[in-house]
Amino acid sequence: MKRPTRLSAGEKLVLTANRLLDGQIVWRDAFGQWLPQIRHAETYDAESAELALENAKHNAQRDGVVGVYEVAVQDGSAIEPVSVRERIRAHGPTVHPQFATEA
Amino acid sequence: MNAPVGHYQYDQIDRNFLQSRIEEFESQVQRRIDGTLTEDEFKPLRLMNGLYLQLHAYMLRIAIPYGILDSRQMRKLSDIAHRYDRDYGHFTTRQNIQFNWIRLEDTPAILRELADVDMHAIQTSGNCIRNVTSDEFAGAAADELVDPRVHAEILRQWSTLHPEFTFLPRKFKIAISGSPNDRVAARFHDIGILARPGVDGTVFRIFVGGGMGRTPIIGQEIFDAVPEDRLLATLEAIVRVYNAHGRRDNIYKARIKILVQAIGIEAYREAVEAELALMNPDHYRLTPETVAAIRARFAVPELVAPDNASEVLAQQRIADREFDLWVRSNTHEHRASGHIIAVVSMKPAGGIPGDATSVQMKRLADLADVHSFGELRITHLQNVVLGHVRQDRLHDLWLSLREVGLASANVGLIGDIVACPGLDYCALANSRSIPIAQKLGARFGNADLQAEIGALSINISGCINACGHHHAGNIGLLGVDKRGEEFFQITLGGRADQGAAIGSILGPALPEDDTVDAIARIVDCYLGKRTAGETFLDTLSRLGDVPFKDAAYEAV
Amino acid sequence: MKLFDLGARASNFHEQLVPLDELQNFPDARAVLLEAEHDPERLKPFLAHLELVVLRFPIFRDGRPFTQARALREYLGFNGEIRAEGHILPDQAAFLKRCGVDSVVLSEGSDPALWEKQLHRFHEAYQRAVLPEAPLGVGLRVKPN
Ligand code: SF4
Repeated sequence: MKRPTRLSAGEKLVLTANRLLDGQIVWRDAFGQWLPQIRHAETYDAESAELALENAKHNAQRDGVVGVYEVAVQDGSAIEPVSVRERIRAHGPTVHPQFATEA
Repeated sequence: MNAPVGHYQYDQIDRNFLQSRIEEFESQVQRRIDGTLTEDEFKPLRLMNGLYLQLHAYMLRIAIPYGILDSRQMRKLSDIAHRYDRDYGHFTTRQNIQFNWIRLEDTPAILRELADVDMHAIQTSGNCIRNVTSDEFAGAAADELVDPRVHAEILRQWSTLHPEFTFLPRKFKIAISGSPNDRVAARFHDIGILARPGVDGTVFRIFVGGGMGRTPIIGQEIFDAVPEDRLLATLEAIVRVYNAHGRRDNIYKARIKILVQAIGIEAYREAVEAELALMNPDHYRLTPETVAAIRARFAVPELVAPDNASEVLAQQRIADREFDLWVRSNTHEHRASGHIIAVVSMKPAGGIPGDATSVQMKRLADLADVHSFGELRITHLQNVVLGHVRQDRLHDLWLSLREVGLASANVGLIGDIVACPGLDYCALANSRSIPIAQKLGARFGNADLQAEIGALSINISGCINACGHHHAGNIGLLGVDKRGEEFFQITLGGRADQGAAIGSILGPALPEDDTVDAIARIVDCYLGKRTAGETFLDTLSRLGDVPFKDAAYEAV
Repeated sequence: MKLFDLGARASNFHEQLVPLDELQNFPDARAVLLEAEHDPERLKPFLAHLELVVLRFPIFRDGRPFTQARALREYLGFNGEIRAEGHILPDQAAFLKRCGVDSVVLSEGSDPALWEKQLHRFHEAYQRAVLPEAPLGVGLRVKPN
């Protein structure tokens, strides 16, 4: 799969998916665990992301996740996705603040 | 409890079928979890049971056939919202309800709960014939020629797990109406059916190849008067041609509308006629006995009202101006004297169009029991209808609605906004559609202002898939992505009724707040330029786009 | 090759399966392979000799073979065996059968017990299909065999 992983300065990649059983959005940490909070996510540069992605996809069934892909983030003091879509995924729907993802 | 009015009443055969379907789904979930089914294989199977994987979680879309449900079913939905979701549900533009925070592992249990009240989620998604929609005023409206619900039910049954048509090139939507005032957007469906009385019983005018999405197309008439006994044969032939020849190489070109456009309506009609000539008419005949047997499973409400019901209502309208305003916009004439159709707006100013909390659902069920034989209808504009209200009790109903914040007097007015879930929930979206709907709703929230503006529909879609039907909105908004920013493209002049038209793009897309301001200026422009009695669409067609375009972009 | 029978007709193995486009070169052929894009009408001149028509599913989501099977039975009066092969799921067993398919080629690792289960999952259907099926209750419903 060829996706445009051209990253701007200060941007990194993280891996995300949904948990198979409950659909919960999860992010992959440095130990290959899938966790609900983006702050635990391991960040990769473009090359290392490719390998990690392949690996994560390979183990998706075993790990109980579905739809693994990479997301561009600002790599500042807190990890923050670049696109609105991924910010909504990371933090919850903007129209229901009561359903915000626990930080 | 008496048999529910308004929809088909299940018997043991129907209930057994639902149980088998649930067992099947449960085994599919199991196979998915143990890896026997890949996600690619499981996806179409779960979709045909209404289960999507959306942005934050699984979403379950539950069928409300032809939009009609009874109070016990509504209470069940309320209960499911409370126990399995986050205490609310969302009514859709296809008269269904969806829950946004469902767990895959809970789904078989939810389907069992639904089956307890004769409900299911079958074919609310997937590349199959979807839940059939119909007129929200069916069997009640004064302007109706034929009650379409019996035939809607026949279509529901016929299309359920159809052996040949469960793996079509793309989704397939059918709507049926029996009124000259098209309230189902028949010309925007893969198949739109208008029933009317013929010399020898009901006949059906059939449109094919309409649709919204990336390529909005108004459906064309394929047959003017199909007799009832040939209805299923004709539909069977239309879908058969599509299944064999619809494109499967490109999902954006896979709908029947593309095939009809490619070969032309005449060629399509010829192909259908060729099928019909080969088909054994006896095998496909819809017999009067079959129709009668299904009709017999619909309980009919006994409509009795005191002689002075209309007078009582007239008095109450004079006495209570706010009530009068609500009656003007939120009711429709009933065929029976002393009765009226009430539309409960699910569009409170600043709220989320189509959302209902579990408490509101329960309250609506209670009110349906008191005022409308326990019957409720979901409209394709995401509102709720109580179909058979006594005129002398309408004021009571209104007072009760007001207590739960459901008395917005805006049906058919600018506040009655249709919006898809957009980027807050939908995995395919470009932009959010709910926040801008909330802003517009708040901007035009005042009931007097809305009454002054008059009939005007706003439809908002978060992407080109057009679930918010923006092409058919008098004012349509389409969310587009401009380098990661949410922008909105404005279209004017769309309509979904018998004068179906696709809105035309006004100019460059604008950011959210600028779009709200631009719409406010468009409305001001209309108010300034209209002549007495003109609706927004009237003024637009008299003056054309230009003055509105100038107004919209003047400050940008 | 493992075969699974959907209905009463027992499947028969055929040595030679001729693709539709080559059929005219093999006048004695008894078995033909149809791709999903083929019009079954093209089999008309050969039907008298044919004992087996194999319909190939390129992917289980491609529903054209269902229409092909029905056309073979309904329009062409084909009375021989219809078989489905390619990417198909046990979840499609009853659909195939009701459209007139007799047997399927089981793919590697496919579990016949699962096919058996799915084949008999539903005891009620809501529309008439190719097979003769008895009415069930009132209305449109029938009892699949
Ligand atoms: S229109 Fe687009 S964003 Fe809106 S619900 Fe449909 S697919 Fe999602």
